[in-house]
Amino acid sequence: MTDGRVPGAAVLPQNPLTPPSGGLQSVEMDPVEYTLRKRLPRKLPKRRNDVYVNMKTDFRAQLARCQKLLEGGGHREICVHGLGLAINRAINIALQLQASSQGALQLAANTSTVELVDDLEPDDPDEAPGEPMTRTRNNSAIHIKVYYPSP
Amino acid sequence: MSGSKQRMREKKLSKQPASVQYTSSPFNSSQSGGSWNGKGTPMSGHSSSTYGASPGGPSDRGGWVRGHQKDGGAYEEELPKFITAAAFAVARASEVQAMLKAVTKETGSCHVSGAIPNHMRRRAMSHNTKRLPCRLREVATRMKEKGLKAGPKKKEQPKNKSRKARRRHGNLLLEFNRRQRKNVWLETHIWHAKRFHMLKKWGYCLGDRPTAKCYRACYRAMSHHCLLQDLSYYCCIELQGDEDKLLACLSQLTSKDTGPTFAAVLALSGRRQGSTTVYRAGQYPSQPLGPVTFLWRPRTPGSSHRQLWIWAHPTLKQNLFPELQSVCQCTKPVIPSVALVVTPAEPAPSASKPGPRQTKKSPGAKRKRSAGDGEAPPEKKIVGDGTRPASAPVTWTSASTGIVINDLTMEVVRYRLIGPQSHAVLTEALEAATDCDAVSKAQASPLWWPQHCKDQAQMTLHRQQAEVFQTLKGVCSTGEVPPGTVLSLNVEDPRLALPKKRTQALSVVSADQDIDETTRELMLNGVPEHCCQSSLWDRFVRDNVTDNKLSEQEINRRKREVLVPGSRLRPTPLQSRVPVLMVQQPGKQVGHEMSGWGAGWDLLLPKGWGMAFWVPLVYRGVRIGGLKMSLKHSQNKGAPHFPHDFPDCPAGVCFQGEQETELLNKFKRRPPAKRTNYIKHGCLAPFRCPWQQLVEEWELITSEALEVGSGDEKRQGQSGAEPGGQPRLAAALQTGFSVLRNRKSLKMLSNWCRPTTTKGQRSLRARDQAPLDAASGAALLTTHVRALAWVRLSLLSKGRPELHAQVCVATQEDLQRLGDKKEAYSGPLEHPHKDRFKNKVKRRKKGSKKASPAPKSSTTLPTREAPDPHPDPPLAMAACPLPPAPASSAAAAGQTSAGPSGPPVPAEGPSSSSAASPANLVLGLWPDPLPSVTAHCSRVTLGWVTQGDFSLSAGCGEALGLVSLEGLVHTLMAQPAEQRGLVLLRSPSALHYRWAKINVEA
Repeated sequence: MTDGRVPGAAVLPQNPLTPPSGGLQSVEMDPVEYTLRKRLPRKLPKRRNDVYVNMKTDFRAQLARCQKLLEGGGHREICVHGLGLAINRAINIALQLQASSQGALQLAANTSTVELVDDLEPDDPDEAPGEPMTRTRNNSAIHIKVYYPSP
Repeated sequence: MSGSKQRMREKKLSKQPASVQYTSSPFNSSQSGGSWNGKGTPMSGHSSSTYGASPGGPSDRGGWVRGHQKDGGAYEEELPKFITAAAFAVARASEVQAMLKAVTKETGSCHVSGAIPNHMRRRAMSHNTKRLPCRLREVATRMKEKGLKAGPKKKEQPKNKSRKARRRHGNLLLEFNRRQRKNVWLETHIWHAKRFHMLKKWGYCLGDRPTAKCYRACYRAMSHHCLLQDLSYYCCIELQGDEDKLLACLSQLTSKDTGPTFAAVLALSGRRQGSTTVYRAGQYPSQPLGPVTFLWRPRTPGSSHRQLWIWAHPTLKQNLFPELQSVCQCTKPVIPSVALVVTPAEPAPSASKPGPRQTKKSPGAKRKRSAGDGEAPPEKKIVGDGTRPASAPVTWTSASTGIVINDLTMEVVRYRLIGPQSHAVLTEALEAATDCDAVSKAQASPLWWPQHCKDQAQMTLHRQQAEVFQTLKGVCSTGEVPPGTVLSLNVEDPRLALPKKRTQALSVVSADQDIDETTRELMLNGVPEHCCQSSLWDRFVRDNVTDNKLSEQEINRRKREVLVPGSRLRPTPLQSRVPVLMVQQPGKQVGHEMSGWGAGWDLLLPKGWGMAFWVPLVYRGVRIGGLKMSLKHSQNKGAPHFPHDFPDCPAGVCFQGEQETELLNKFKRRPPAKRTNYIKHGCLAPFRCPWQQLVEEWELITSEALEVGSGDEKRQGQSGAEPGGQPRLAAALQTGFSVLRNRKSLKMLSNWCRPTTTKGQRSLRARDQAPLDAASGAALLTTHVRALAWVRLSLLSKGRPELHAQVCVATQEDLQRLGDKKEAYSGPLEHPHKDRFKNKVKRRKKGSKKASPAPKSSTTLPTREAPDPHPDPPLAMAACPLPPAPASSAAAAGQTSAGPSGPPVPAEGPSSSSAASPANLVLGLWPDPLPSVTAHCSRVTLGWVTQGDFSLSAGCGEALGLVSLEGLVHTLMAQPAEQRGLVLLRSPSALHYRWAKINVEA
């Protein structure tokens, strides 16, 4: 991938749900160079009406997918999840859904924190402190429930 | 006589038996007496009336003539005055006889079908006689029966044994042992042979691909559930000795530049599996051998004695093993002492048990075995392992270093589970061993487990390992565990808890369940070091477990005695505890998308337990893959696959040779008219990649470019510029070429390949990276002479890259057209080339028919004309990103080998053109001394694809290939920043270039 002297500061276009890293937990400069490898966020079991939003897929496609679930799929409610950079887009999608339904849909948003894991691999593995490290960092996530209110 | 009449007559005559020819019959000439007058003919009806020379009759007419003749001369008015009865009768008798014979004899094909007219014959009649007319049915049935009787009799080989005898267990095993004398079988061979296309490769019989159609299903299994492979053919080499000495010896084989070595901290502690690239001792960066994975046994406190397992591909092992021996100075073979090896627990399955061959059982009498002491079936003979002869020693020791090398090939079974749910499959199929009861603990037992249980420290360790194994259940995906984690465990025989039905094992993690602390610890730091200690490392335990394995039959017998059918066997038999090692395999580590794809676990088992674990794993709903799937796995992972993608390793070279002959034979099997004419497609070598020629040519091109760049005024002094390039050439001449594996250089190259500003991609913060410019490029090139770089190509539009597709440099014009938003530009077209060899091939064919082929002139390969006339050579050349030497400079270069487009190698072309003897000519393929590979087509060639397919994970065509490093750097420098890394890709049998994006993985 890439390497940065400051772990957690390397900014990357990342895998679907992982946005660029957030907070700097430790700012110490390591004498040894490390390669940063980000692991995927923890994968959770998914229902049919769960939509995980990412930054790679076309926005319209994701919106259409949600609409299809609500209208054709026969779901009374869907859940739109977004992590990090994709939070904006998740909100966007939810609002668009609501707007296009002429007020029939309602939203309920929840936020949470997701723990992400990074692997740091030393470039020079034989040197004394050259032990691979693992770090955790936190990232924000949003879960928006889009539903038809029960009559 | 009209023509038709004539023909009919001839036809009739031809059917007459030979003796009835009406030509000079013996009777006529040997007619006794003067019974005939000169003209007279015997009175035999008018048929014979024309016989002889009747006056006025047409002289050419002979024999029977049908119908009334016009001239009437045929009719004799004059009748013979007398005939001799006896002679007449004799003559007629022979005629009658011949007639009768003709009537009874069946002509030609005597089948009944001949009796019905053509248009009424049907193919099915030969099988179903009822389709024939009634009158022929009987005959046909008789014929059919006759044919049935005769047919199979010829085919049937007399077998000296009945099928029942052949299928008897002992005889079957003997037969199996005979059949695997040359290519050894894995333990799962029979299971595979029923379901897979088998290949004889590398001294083993391996499953290539399943016979069922399951390509996509296997892909889905890899990306969503679990795919199982038998990797037991990988060779394990064990090294034992002092840690310092081992590391000192092994450091000669590796280099830190290529990444972690044998001394990597975590791997050395035994907590992780390591992987590295091995070179010949002290030869880095040239002469690589190939990639290996290795596993250190965790340290035992207070001892510096270490144990190391190196896992290598069988083709690699042949080169690696002598190298290890020489590095460790292990030259003294150790003859294994017999007492050490076999420690059977029960007397029954001893190794020295004579097989049925020696005891020669009398049939019937001993076939029914008595209850207790029936003789054991002959043991499966392990003859060698496919990579070494059976009699070769397996252990070498060294007097000076004290290192012992052990060849453990086929001693440890290795299964690979790929996919995010593989940990779920493992946790469901395996079960931590239960403690044995007090009674058996008290007794002295030859089995290892009761002894193991006596040791309290071992048992606490076992309990800790079992706990770690339990926490593995809380993990959602295999990729969440740190890469390369090792977990050791003693498990129960998985056959005891075999489910009744095949079901999919899935991990059960609910969404709201929070990660508990132990799972978190496992995910972050992996398994603690002491939990990686395993008894599997112990040769004694391994042999003990293998020898005392309960046979399938015995297990089934005990299961039968269980009161509730189908319930688990309790108490667990003492023999069924097995030490296993589980090793996590990291998934995709390069690139940005799909990271962690294809992660999984490897399961290491002692020899002999293969099937006992295989079937329970299969019952957990995994898919099984073969060699082909492992190729696809590494392709989707973006990792090079050994030996396919290692052209600089001896095994890779060997593989390429094999692949070429295989592809060539396949090509030649097609009818000539249906073969692709690769010459016309401008493809010089469709079945192999002339890497050596490629790097040499690029070296020339760049040196030319440097000369031109250094100053046009120096054009005359080109011979002066020559020495600058010369030492480099001379230095590289012996080394051949190598693949770039230096991680720092790869990283630099990887950054250069990315477009700096594109939508969706932020500019990378590469503070410590040298930007792409002439200086840094030249610095990279001087450190890596004649290097190839491993690249991943993903197609921008449609297209499926094929094997050995060309990677070409796009011209400026191409890039401009691509940048133009108005048109959808899918890529340029190559103009069809002209096949100049076609006539030669044809001529040779004609010549070989007549006489020996005409000797071929040595001008068959004129160097400059070799590439077919480019449609627009100046444009192509000018658009080529490298400033090429103008024609004048090339001319000025004169005796120096050639211009940029000039083929450097065919400099010796004319002399060696005898190699392209007409016998070697194949229609559609270039004969051997190839012209310039880079400049053959309208776009300059950079390299070739070694694997290519539509990637199901990326959703577009993806290819893995090697390109010339010099070519790559120069191409990148010539490209505008926003279009950096775009190249053209063309399959060998296509004329369309497709756009592809280059990614260098680091």
